[in-house]
Order: sequence, then C-alpha cells, then structure tokens
Amino acid sequence: MLGLVKGLGITLKNLTKKRVTYRYPDEPLEMPDRFRGIQHFDPEKCIVCYQCARICPTECISLTGKKNPDPEKKGKVIETYDINFEICILCDLCTEVCPTEAVVMTRNYELATYSRDELFKDMEWLKNNNTNVRKENHP
Amino acid sequence: MDPLKIIGPVIMLLIILGFVTYAILFERKVLGWMQNRPGPVRTGPWGLLQTVADVLKLLIKEDVIPDKADKTLFKIAPVIAFVPSFAVVAVLPFTDSLFFADIAVGLLYYVAISSTTIIGILVGSWASNNKYALMGGMRSAAQMISYEIPLVMAVVGVIMSAGSLNLRKIVAAQEDVWFIIPQFLGFIVFLIAAIAELNRTPFDLPEAESELVAGYHVEYSGFRFAFFMLAEYVYVFAMSALTTVLFLGGWLPLFGLDFIPPLVWFVLKMLAMVFFIFWLRATFPRIRSDQLMQLGWKVLLPLALVNIFLSALLKEVPVIGNWF
Repeated sequence: MLGLVKGLGITLKNLTKKRVTYRYPDEPLEMPDRFRGIQHFDPEKCIVCYQCARICPTECISLTGKKNPDPEKKGKVIETYDINFEICILCDLCTEVCPTEAVVMTRNYELATYSRDELFKDMEWLKNNNTNVRKENHP
Repeated sequence: MDPLKIIGPVIMLLIILGFVTYAILFERKVLGWMQNRPGPVRTGPWGLLQTVADVLKLLIKEDVIPDKADKTLFKIAPVIAFVPSFAVVAVLPFTDSLFFADIAVGLLYYVAISSTTIIGILVGSWASNNKYALMGGMRSAAQMISYEIPLVMAVVGVIMSAGSLNLRKIVAAQEDVWFIIPQFLGFIVFLIAAIAELNRTPFDLPEAESELVAGYHVEYSGFRFAFFMLAEYVYVFAMSALTTVLFLGGWLPLFGLDFIPPLVWFVLKMLAMVFFIFWLRATFPRIRSDQLMQLGWKVLLPLALVNIFLSALLKEVPVIGNWF
C-alpha cells in the first residue's frame, strides 16, 4: 500500500525533471568521434594495394590504378575508386587495413537520397567528403 | 419554447467537446512528462492540434462492419454508450445559478443513467461477432456492475450528512467543511469505484490495449471508435464534476477566498481531479480481472458499509456530530 503512494510520488517528481528526448531533426545530433559514417578518400595517399577491396565483406569497393605518370617515381596512382554505398555496411574494415590511411570514416550519416544512382559514391565525391573526419583512425 | 432551452445544451455540448479535445491532449502530455518525454509536440504549436488531427483521421477512415456482425446492433452500440454520458451532465450544478436541471433526486439520476452505458458496451461487444470483443465486453460489464455498488454505498454517507439527494443541496451542506474530510473513507472508496466505472487504468482491462487486443471495441474503427472514446472522456468530465460536487465542495471557495468567482473554483477543482486521474494512469499497472473482482466485492463494499455505520454512529457523538 505504501509502495503505491511512493510510486505516485516518483511520477509526480518526474514532472519536474528534464525530458530526455533528442530534438532530432530540429537540432543536429552530435555523434562521438569514432562513429562510423560514410568514408572519406584521399587519392594522394592511396598506393593502390587493393587491401580494402579484398577485405570488404560485401565487396562494395572497386578500384583501378594506373602506373605513376611521373617516370622517376615507382608504384601506382589511383585512377578510379568507387564505393557502392547501397551495400556498404560501414564496418570500418577498409580503414583498418589501409596502410596509408587513405580511406578513413567520417561522422556523416544523413545520406538519404531520392534516387539509387546517387548512392554509388565515386572518387570525386569521396574526396570532397572531408567534413567531420574521424580523428583517431586506429584507436 | 424558450430558445435558451435549446441553445444551452448545445453550448454545453460544444464546451464538453472542447474539454474532451484538450483532455485527450493533456492526458498524453501529462503521461509524457511523467515518463521523461515531451508528449505530442509536432502537430500545431506545442501539439495543440494533436486531437484534431486524430479525430480527423478517425473521421476519414473507411467504415468497416464485419460481415457476420449484427449490423443494427453494431451501429447503435456506440450511440447507446455515449448518450448516457451526455445525459448525466444535465444534473451537474456548476455554480449556484449555473445548472441545467434541479432534480430532487439528482444523485440517483446520475448513478442510474450512467449504468446504462454498460448496455451499450455489451451490445457492442456482442454485435462484433468476435471472441475477444465478447470477452472484453463481459469483463467490462462484470467490472462496471460490481463497482456500481461500492460507488453508491460510498455516497450514502454523503447523502446522510447532507440530508438530500439534490446535488445543489449537497454542495450547500459543505459550507463549513468539505465532505472529503469527515467522509474520507467514503471518498477513497468512491474514488476507486469511480475509476473502475470509467474503465480507466488501473482498471482498464476491458480496454486492455496490450492484452485483450483492445477489448470490446476491437472491431470498431473510424467514427464509431471515436464515439466510444468520446463516451469515455465525457464520463471523465462528468465523474470529475460529480466528485467535486460531492466531496470537494463544488463551487465553494477554499480559505474564504471568495473574490475568485465560483465557476473558477469549480473548474479548478474539476481539473485537479482530472489531473489526478491522469496521474494514476501514469503510475499504476493494470489489475487482473480476478483481483479486480476481489477488490470490488471483498474490500470496497465492506469498507463502504463500514463508512455508512461510522457516519451514522458519529452523527450521535456531541461535538463532531455536527460535521456528520
């Protein structure tokens, strides 16, 4: 019987407490730094080792490289780099395995589009997606 | 025919509809606040148009009547459930001069007419041709009938103190002290029985949204469902008004602050009762139907009878007999 009255007291006290609801989408929702959003790609750093394409569990990364146009330097230079975002599961394995940190995750997740064509992210898009980049790439 | 006799009830109906609209919104808001969330906020500023949106949705829904359902009964059941809830507002005195009918047996009229809602619920549950609706209707009828008795018994103490069944005389008899204080046991019994009558949590097993697939109104959709909901909320209005008239002193001021108009006092007390009903809904879990029947017959009825005996006994005691 006393428990009932105590319960009433608790609910009454809850009237004065702050509401815990997030005001998204009216207010932006801040994600922690290590949040795995869409990737950011830096073509300068890529050495075309194909590790990211090999480790991707859904095989959504496809890339091609060409020989370095500068005749003195060795190695390859990246020519195209596509992430099929429809099947990317944001698992972060590609950034873990990349030796030069050319691919890193960002905190961007608001990526809904009206057409599926826009979900095929090419190198241009991934290079320009440089906001909210994750600071610690290998925690 | 005095035109006021027609316009008065129409204005009362509009006021009640306005009350129901904002009572539903406030119930959701208060429930939300007590659960650390804000309740409806997006429809209209501060969520004020939420009930309007809900009613609009219900009105434009397709009118589905199950194939094997009893069509006539199915259609008139919500009407039978709603009409008594509005008819009992006729005897409620809002202030000394603002009332519709001054019947000498006003309290008896209230309790008797509000019982006929049970017929509407039974008809609706039977006509739905659905096991769950029938079970919900049976439970609801059992609950409402078995809580009518403690309800009336609890009020007998008030009637004995006031010496009349007329609601205005009952309020007038509370000028010294409101009946909640001498009749406290009766008030508690009345409160619990009233909430069971209204089919509200913690006694809402007939409506049991999560357990009984919405109970007796499971087959109703659209406007007919809105009618059942309307009946419930008009009863909340009527029952809160009755509680303020019987136990909280109606329009009489507290601490002699009579510069506040009596109607405002009545409205404030009624809103406090309504808030209390919502508060109970936010706090308590639902009572099982067997526990509910035990509570009604084995606990409330004896308590109400004890209250009657105590009131009659204490009436004879010299000093405090004046308050009884």
